[in-house]
Amino acid sequence: MAHITYVEANGQSTTIDLADGWSLMQGATTNGIDGIIGECGGSCACATCHCYVDDLLAGVLPPPSQGELDMLENVVAERRPNSRLACQIKASPALEGGVVTLPECQE
Amino acid sequence: MGLGSFHFDPYSPAIDADPFPAYQRLRDEFPCFWSEEAQMWILSRYSDIVTAGQDWQTYSSASGNLMTELPGRAGATLGSSDPPKHDRLRGLIQHAFMKRNLMALEDPIRAVARDVFGQLRGVGEFDFKDVSSQFTVKVLMAALGLPMGEDALVPEHEVRENAVLMVQSDARTRAKGPEHIAAYNWMQDYASKVIAMRRANPQNDLISNFALAEIDGDRLDDREVLLTTTTLIMAGVESLGGFMMMFAYNLATFDEARRAVVANPALLPDSIEESLRFNTSAQRFRRRLMKDVTLHGQTMKEGDFVCLAYGSGNRDERQYPNPDAYDITRKPRGHLGFGGGVHACLGTAIARLAVKIAFEEFHQVVPDYKRVADQLPWMPSSTFRSPLVLQLKAL
Repeated sequence: MAHITYVEANGQSTTIDLADGWSLMQGATTNGIDGIIGECGGSCACATCHCYVDDLLAGVLPPPSQGELDMLENVVAERRPNSRLACQIKASPALEGGVVTLPECQE
Repeated sequence: MGLGSFHFDPYSPAIDADPFPAYQRLRDEFPCFWSEEAQMWILSRYSDIVTAGQDWQTYSSASGNLMTELPGRAGATLGSSDPPKHDRLRGLIQHAFMKRNLMALEDPIRAVARDVFGQLRGVGEFDFKDVSSQFTVKVLMAALGLPMGEDALVPEHEVRENAVLMVQSDARTRAKGPEHIAAYNWMQDYASKVIAMRRANPQNDLISNFALAEIDGDRLDDREVLLTTTTLIMAGVESLGGFMMMFAYNLATFDEARRAVVANPALLPDSIEESLRFNTSAQRFRRRLMKDVTLHGQTMKEGDFVCLAYGSGNRDERQYPNPDAYDITRKPRGHLGFGGGVHACLGTAIARLAVKIAFEEFHQVVPDYKRVADQLPWMPSSTFRSPLVLQLKAL
């Protein structure tokens, strides 16, 4: 389990306790966090679960796969060095306390 | 009631017709249940299905993902392989299915919809399958780049009929019957002719690109090209057609929802999402365990097959309040109507687009309608669920 905080573009912050193995996209869509869409269902095929990870997450996450990097080229909001796709980040105790900030738009 | 008196048989015609009462008992009383009839475990709760869907290392697809698998298919298709092979195959095709790359198909799809549903003008009673199947095959042919018109290799209705037949199974033997295998072989034969045609004379279409693709200098092997193409046709035609039948069934059944979407077509996308949750055609897929897993007091062994009952997870009250109500204002985010995780449906964007356009045009011609029969003939399938016939009466 890991507590993950999502900060939406309007400043609203929600912290959820995410089961190991669930993606940060699933954590958002199953908990009513609207700033992540996840239209493709988590197969890294739509770029609508774009998020910006904080330094804690950036430090512990494995680097994005080639497929994620390719899909990140399709995000609608500004792509930054800490841009990731939430469907490709799986919860584990190492992510405890991590914060993701969500962009203003996903599509 | 004890374990001995509860059965879950995904081959039973009663489950084809209405699996939801059994799902409820599975979720409440037997959340990790060994089905003697299916010879596999059944996971029915939303959170267990999501967890399993995410963990492809444990819940492998490489031994096949259809509840009743077709011979020789496992390991060679997107749905029946694990990463990294899966990602390699998927990387070749998924760009074609991305929403922004489908915009060029919007006008052709609308033209097909106007043409097909226009046939219903002045018709009092009809089987919705007759129009939805024509629409589905034409859309898939355009999307995949199957030869159409003068180049067509076979009549369109044969593609549809074989796609529908190959996903069925025999309720008595709990296996594929000779007619299902014959349909599968027909589809492979058709796919191989299309592949040969496109290799000889490549077009700018999905199958040409896929058939000629090289990855790291290696061409895909012929079996992967053949079976993945076969599956794209099957999955496209059957899943889109089956879902359209279920959506029409829901709108014909729930008067308030139908009137709302006909009056305001902008509500169609939300009602499509609710249909994907409520009773989508893709009800169950399977995985195989790569290690022992203990869940809800049961130990499932390495090598055991496990059914992920998406259709049950979508009705789990632990995730969706009042789950048995068809509520088009629900916005059921995170539903399992397209599965989830690495194997989530490749065709989500085209399915949403095509169904929306189809019903916009259908409702232009037939703005109000109802079901003629209470009891419907349901397709015999352990994986998919949709009616074989949906007789509708225009009002």
